[in-house]
Amino acid sequence: MPLTLFANNRTVAECLISLRGIGKSYPTPTGTFNALTDVDLSVRRGEFIAVVGRSGSGKSTLLNLLGGIDRPSRGEIVIDGERLNGLSENALSVWRGRSIGFVFQFFQLLPTLTAAENIMLPMDFGNRLDSRERRPRALALLDRLGVAEQADKLPAALSGGQQQRVAVARALANAPAILLADEPTGNLDSRTSQGLLEMLSDLVREGQTVLMVTHERAAIGHATRVVTLADGCIVDDEAAIHA
Amino acid sequence: MLSPRWRKMLRDAWLHKARTVLVVLAVATAMIGAGALLDAWALVQRVTGATYRASHPVSATLKVEGVDEALLAAVRALPEISAARARSRVFATVETNGTRITAELHALENFDAQDIGKLESTRGSWPPRDGEIAIEKSALELSGAALGGSISLTFASNPARALRVSSIAHDVSLPPGWMDHVVYGFVTPATMAELGASSSFDELQFVVRDTTLNRDAVRRVADKVRLLSECQGKHVSRVDVPVPGQHAHAAQMDSLMMTQGAFGLLTLLVASFLIVNLMTAMLSGQAREIGVMKTLGARVGQIAAMYFAFALLLGLLASSIAVPAAIAIGRPYAALKADMLNFSIDGYAIPWWAIALQLLVGCLLPVAAAVAPIMRACRRPVAAALHDPGIVVAGGGFHVRRWITIPGIGRPLQLSIGNAFRQRQRMMLTLLALSAGGAVYVGADNLRNSVRASVDLLFASQRYDIVLRLPDPQDAAAIEAIAAPVAGVERVQGLASVSAHVANVDGMPGSAFALLALPDGSPMLIPTITAGRWLKASDRAALVVSRALVKDESTLVPGASIRLLIEGRSTAWTIVGIVDTGPQALAYAPLPTLDERRGDTRVSSLLVAGGDSSAASTLDLIARLRAAFDRAGVPVASSQFVGETRRAFEDHLLMVVQFLGVMGWVMIAVGGMGLASTMSLAVLERTREIGVMRAIGARHATITRMIQAEGIVIAVLAWLVALPLSVPVSVALADAFGKVMFTVPTHVIPDAGGVFRWLLMSVLVSVVACAWPSRRATRIPTAAALNYA
Repeated sequence: MPLTLFANNRTVAECLISLRGIGKSYPTPTGTFNALTDVDLSVRRGEFIAVVGRSGSGKSTLLNLLGGIDRPSRGEIVIDGERLNGLSENALSVWRGRSIGFVFQFFQLLPTLTAAENIMLPMDFGNRLDSRERRPRALALLDRLGVAEQADKLPAALSGGQQQRVAVARALANAPAILLADEPTGNLDSRTSQGLLEMLSDLVREGQTVLMVTHERAAIGHATRVVTLADGCIVDDEAAIHA
Repeated sequence: MLSPRWRKMLRDAWLHKARTVLVVLAVATAMIGAGALLDAWALVQRVTGATYRASHPVSATLKVEGVDEALLAAVRALPEISAARARSRVFATVETNGTRITAELHALENFDAQDIGKLESTRGSWPPRDGEIAIEKSALELSGAALGGSISLTFASNPARALRVSSIAHDVSLPPGWMDHVVYGFVTPATMAELGASSSFDELQFVVRDTTLNRDAVRRVADKVRLLSECQGKHVSRVDVPVPGQHAHAAQMDSLMMTQGAFGLLTLLVASFLIVNLMTAMLSGQAREIGVMKTLGARVGQIAAMYFAFALLLGLLASSIAVPAAIAIGRPYAALKADMLNFSIDGYAIPWWAIALQLLVGCLLPVAAAVAPIMRACRRPVAAALHDPGIVVAGGGFHVRRWITIPGIGRPLQLSIGNAFRQRQRMMLTLLALSAGGAVYVGADNLRNSVRASVDLLFASQRYDIVLRLPDPQDAAAIEAIAAPVAGVERVQGLASVSAHVANVDGMPGSAFALLALPDGSPMLIPTITAGRWLKASDRAALVVSRALVKDESTLVPGASIRLLIEGRSTAWTIVGIVDTGPQALAYAPLPTLDERRGDTRVSSLLVAGGDSSAASTLDLIARLRAAFDRAGVPVASSQFVGETRRAFEDHLLMVVQFLGVMGWVMIAVGGMGLASTMSLAVLERTREIGVMRAIGARHATITRMIQAEGIVIAVLAWLVALPLSVPVSVALADAFGKVMFTVPTHVIPDAGGVFRWLLMSVLVSVVACAWPSRRATRIPTAAALNYA
């Protein structure tokens, strides 16, 4: 089945993410550190969730668990009908490539690949498209995110904002069900940050589900729902009030 | 079009091109060493196998008085025999450039026989006619003669005769003349007579019909021929049966090449350490990228495939350099080896399997070496990989710095010492690579020393300078009386000898050997006893055997009672000791017993000790002795200058040692490249640290000194580690060498000079290996270094 540009062809209001009794502990020299404790969370398709909290509150741990790059110590994670707890590392990789798009604070573009090639890489790993269709799709995504003219440049030749847009395009390469963004504006100036957040909002309006970890007030303003973490627990979960 | 992941792999290789090239060169160097050996072995094997068998090598040689047509016809009629021929062999002297060299002349009844001991003419007119000589090609240079020219030969006390060199012949069954210092020549029986020797044939040679027969089976056929000869009234004094189908030196050459091959494999192992270092450093640097790729959906297999492909690329690049280079080196090396066996390499086409094997090893070695680092990196949890800083800052070095405090050494140097220990696994592999090379280098040096000392020991037992061989037995007292008054002679003694065979349990004669005897208490021989004891005046049927003979007849141990066949008679003897005499299979017996059992008191050799053992004085003394024997009317067949024999023998052995040493050089080169790679990685990882040091005032010279000092720390450690490692290497080499090279006793004698030469070399290797990394460290702008992540 050909991929659409974004994962917006599903019924809005369907439950996409379900976390039940999630806990995550790490052994430390001074004893066990509980990064997350008994977290329950449900996310519907098309939501733009901002996860906020102080440093060490468990935001990044939650994001890693949702992205299947870390495993919970307790509880159950079901995303898009897939129970992550039982998946092997390889199965998690395959699932991640199909269902999750990651946007990192420091962009994490591979330095020896051009912008277009960075976007084609997840398609290559996932083998979801015919190889001839990958570059046109990468160019379409870059065009959609306003950086089409940077397609054949290496990351080092791009500005921070351009790199982050390419990173978003890469995250969308396989039309994932969920876009996870870890402090996506943390390394950008305020004007560029604003542009990126508007772009994410546009994606959400087109049906994309976005879960963003942030501690920037301006970023929170774009979310449709704000989940607040403190000491590994969800202390607040409410629909955002837009100005 | 290449997919992005393969493009990434190629661009990563390009990004790290300097280190990649270094590792490719190191792997290629190791492969060239091992590949050249394999190619040479393949080429030599082909000629020593097929070419040797195609020459229809002689199965046995019997020393028979007066071989005639009737005997030959009777032998040829035996069903076990496919071909037989008569031959005569005498020793003469060649005079060239004022020196006398021993010549071994062979006269054959038919030079064109194709079915036994085939001779080939490489140049000139064939066969030699009366008054002509064909010289064996391996002795042409030694003889000082040229094709078409003449050569002066003297047999016994006959006048010298000039023979025309009509052709250059090749006899694969003969050892190289240049190596044995003997001029081998082929003449007609009439030419033999012209020189003063007998024109009749005194050797009977045959080839067995069934070429699969083992040595014992051939011995039985030889005994049948002996009985047949004796039935016709011919006296048989000696029977020689070589190992069937195998060139006399082929097994030794095989063993030597196996020893070198083992070092070749060790070099490949050393090169694999470099690959482990490169891959580990590369994967550490790309830990976060691997995490990102996994986040993007890459499976472990997909990522591993990328890095295995990179390793394969290294192997392909190394192979593309190494395979042709190994062929280019292997061919002349094969020619040299073949020359040592007196073979000619007919064709230089390397067998397909040798090339395929090199390609396979070249491609698989980097892949195999990369398995552990790749799997370790690929199996790392995604979260851990994503948070990896890429540049590992191990704290080990700081611990080392804390406990190594050398008074008077500045902080930068203390820092360098600590830095050497920061990446311990990498340091260990680099150290091992350099140390392995050093151990082989020191081992080869020790072997050289041991060979010299062992040859000294061997020849030290021979307290004489000259051996005069007489064509006919003479009374010992009479010839001693001729030689003793000659100016420069210190002492003389006749050496009694007879050819003997060990009589096996089934009555069959074993290998032939020389049974010698000197008067009791003779000062001419101070034997080196390895087991048992030397002969006593009270001994009767006691024997002391040489190690070379024991190698052939393993039952000859002290205390063993054996029977010997001497002049056709079987007599009982008891072994009392074993001595080192080098490659010759021989035994010593009490003179009265030997005289009694051989039925003769005359001798055919005279040992002469001169007052001055220098080459010039000894050659002059030989000339005076020959003149004295001429005046007395006693012919001399040949004269042997022991010092010259020793030199040829030692040169021959040292040449082989030199070949072994080459592998040490190759390994040091590979180890040096490993050090260069390690230091360039260290500079890369510490770019920011270097930036900080420069920001606080470190000058170019300080940075350079620090990096050079770090390299020298590793080099000195490698020197230290190599010393104990060199002990088992030296023992193994000496043992292998002793077994392989003509049973020369090689005791391990460490060479202190070699130890210091290795220290000097390791420091030099370090300085060269660190030159590029230290230059690079000083070329990075401080601002860029400080921002390096």
